[in-house]
Amino acid sequence: MDTSSRHAVAGTAHTVLASGRPRTGRKDRGDRRFALLLMTPAVLFLATFVLWPLARFIYDSFFEISPFAGAPRTFVGLANYADAFASDAFRSASVRTVAYTLVVVGMEFVLGLAIALLFTALGQRSAVFRTVFMYPLMIAPVVAGLLWRFLLIDNFGIVNQLLFEAGILASPDQVQWLSDPGIALFSVAIPDIWLTTSFITLVLFAGLQNIPGDVIEAARIDGARYPRILFSIIIPLLRPVIAVALIVRGIDAARAFDIILIQTDGGPQGSTTTLSLLIYRTMTRFGDPGLASAMGTVYLVVMLAVAIAAITLIWRPGSSAR
Amino acid sequence: MNPLETRGRSRVVLWLLLAAAIILYGFPFIYLLLTSFKAPLDAIAVPPSVFPEVLTLENYVSALAREGVPAALINSVVTAVVSTALSLVLAVPAAYAITRFRTPSGRVFVVAALVTRMVPTIAVGAPLVEIMRGLGVTDTSFGLALAHTTISLPLSIWLMASFFEAVPDELGEAAQIDGCSRPQAMVRVVLPLVSGGLAVTAIFAFLASWNEFLFALLLTSVRAQTTPVVIANFQSQFGLDWGGMTALAAVYSIPVILLTLFLQRHIVAGLTLGAVKG
Repeated sequence: MDTSSRHAVAGTAHTVLASGRPRTGRKDRGDRRFALLLMTPAVLFLATFVLWPLARFIYDSFFEISPFAGAPRTFVGLANYADAFASDAFRSASVRTVAYTLVVVGMEFVLGLAIALLFTALGQRSAVFRTVFMYPLMIAPVVAGLLWRFLLIDNFGIVNQLLFEAGILASPDQVQWLSDPGIALFSVAIPDIWLTTSFITLVLFAGLQNIPGDVIEAARIDGARYPRILFSIIIPLLRPVIAVALIVRGIDAARAFDIILIQTDGGPQGSTTTLSLLIYRTMTRFGDPGLASAMGTVYLVVMLAVAIAAITLIWRPGSSAR
Repeated sequence: MNPLETRGRSRVVLWLLLAAAIILYGFPFIYLLLTSFKAPLDAIAVPPSVFPEVLTLENYVSALAREGVPAALINSVVTAVVSTALSLVLAVPAAYAITRFRTPSGRVFVVAALVTRMVPTIAVGAPLVEIMRGLGVTDTSFGLALAHTTISLPLSIWLMASFFEAVPDELGEAAQIDGCSRPQAMVRVVLPLVSGGLAVTAIFAFLASWNEFLFALLLTSVRAQTTPVVIANFQSQFGLDWGGMTALAAVYSIPVILLTLFLQRHIVAGLTLGAVKG
């Protein structure tokens, strides 16, 4: 969604939280007071500009709100939630969000791991190419979305033209990437995959450099072939790194907004309307902030639950079993 | 040498695979650049061609002369610079406190900052519209910079925390024994040691603001509009001006891509830090 997300370093959480390094100095009251003083501005900022808006957002979900400024608001209890769960739009958008996230994260993982292994196999001489490979990470999602829309556009998209010239397609308009409701959800995922596979590659590449050589040598001597080494040694050893990369990307893919908005605006026939687009529309275009807030709150709670479950189940910070 | 490194003849195959991957990965942006140098009608020709018939700067001239485009570029720079400064000023002391003193409140704060990453942008963005109106900073670069800092601050705290983590506690303590006050130990002794980390954090905070779209869409209208919103509007506002869109997208992306290439070593450190360290 935003660049920072793509560059997230959730792993740091682990470093800071689970760090077993013993404190050397004395933790006197002066230290505590100074620490508190240093943290206060950041805490106040996040409380004012994240926590407070979020609280208002959740609070709004219990009201019927007219989109016109100054109009009355009525407390309706859980009615907005009932409406949200009863609405087809909400249910199908949830399914689409899950499908989109799985496609993006799955593709990025497979491609990202393959390329990380390729870079590792080629060793130090591939360093220059690693840099080149990283460049999409710096491009704005809006630009990436528009660029791919241009590449995939029906009548003059270069992708279909090249596929046609290569003999793969029978005609340049055989595949309607962004206007066929059956495949549009997968097509809009392409720029996201293009944009952030490098993130997974970089993280996994760095992890691969830390795999102890003797384990792999020993497996080789025992006659293990590459696929066996990959699935029985490399992937299990990389598990914490893979978990961090997938959780970070999963959260961002589930929040994807601009990259989809810019390509299809949720269409055709609503086939790419994920939750973030549905909430945005309900809020702005359909003028029902109460309902939008209820949908957003459900979405937020589910995201938190899934992320926390993923962190504790897969990542297991601080576990010695790594 | 990494034991996973391949030797012998199969290396040739792997190099070919890498070349194919790089070409596929590089093509979209190369095509964007090539299109931006085409004549405007050439850019939307049917069937499309990869290479321009004639090279021209027409798209660049017309895109940059469009109403609002120069202002949007300036707005993007101002917003990103203000947001980066704000993020660093808030994040550096907080991260220092978290890693150096390890108080329980610090741990709670670290978790809270992680949680803000999971919040859908719209859930913060929509109420922020009214909060910014209340503060009188609607449609100003400063207001937008405040909003962008909500994204970059948690990230900056994480990054700075891992850089501070690498500095031994003993250094700051020794400085205090030598007569430095706590703030002096931080500013004069520890901070210079993480100057590389500061640069990385600044780059990521800058990029977070530079590329951000939804807050910019919600919080600005005319005066403070940033370039991503203008690029997005290129379509509806001016019809099918793909040539102009590619030119503006190139102008907007090339500086940050060059930045990446020059600072790549630092950026890779920032990207992978923590994820593999644990």
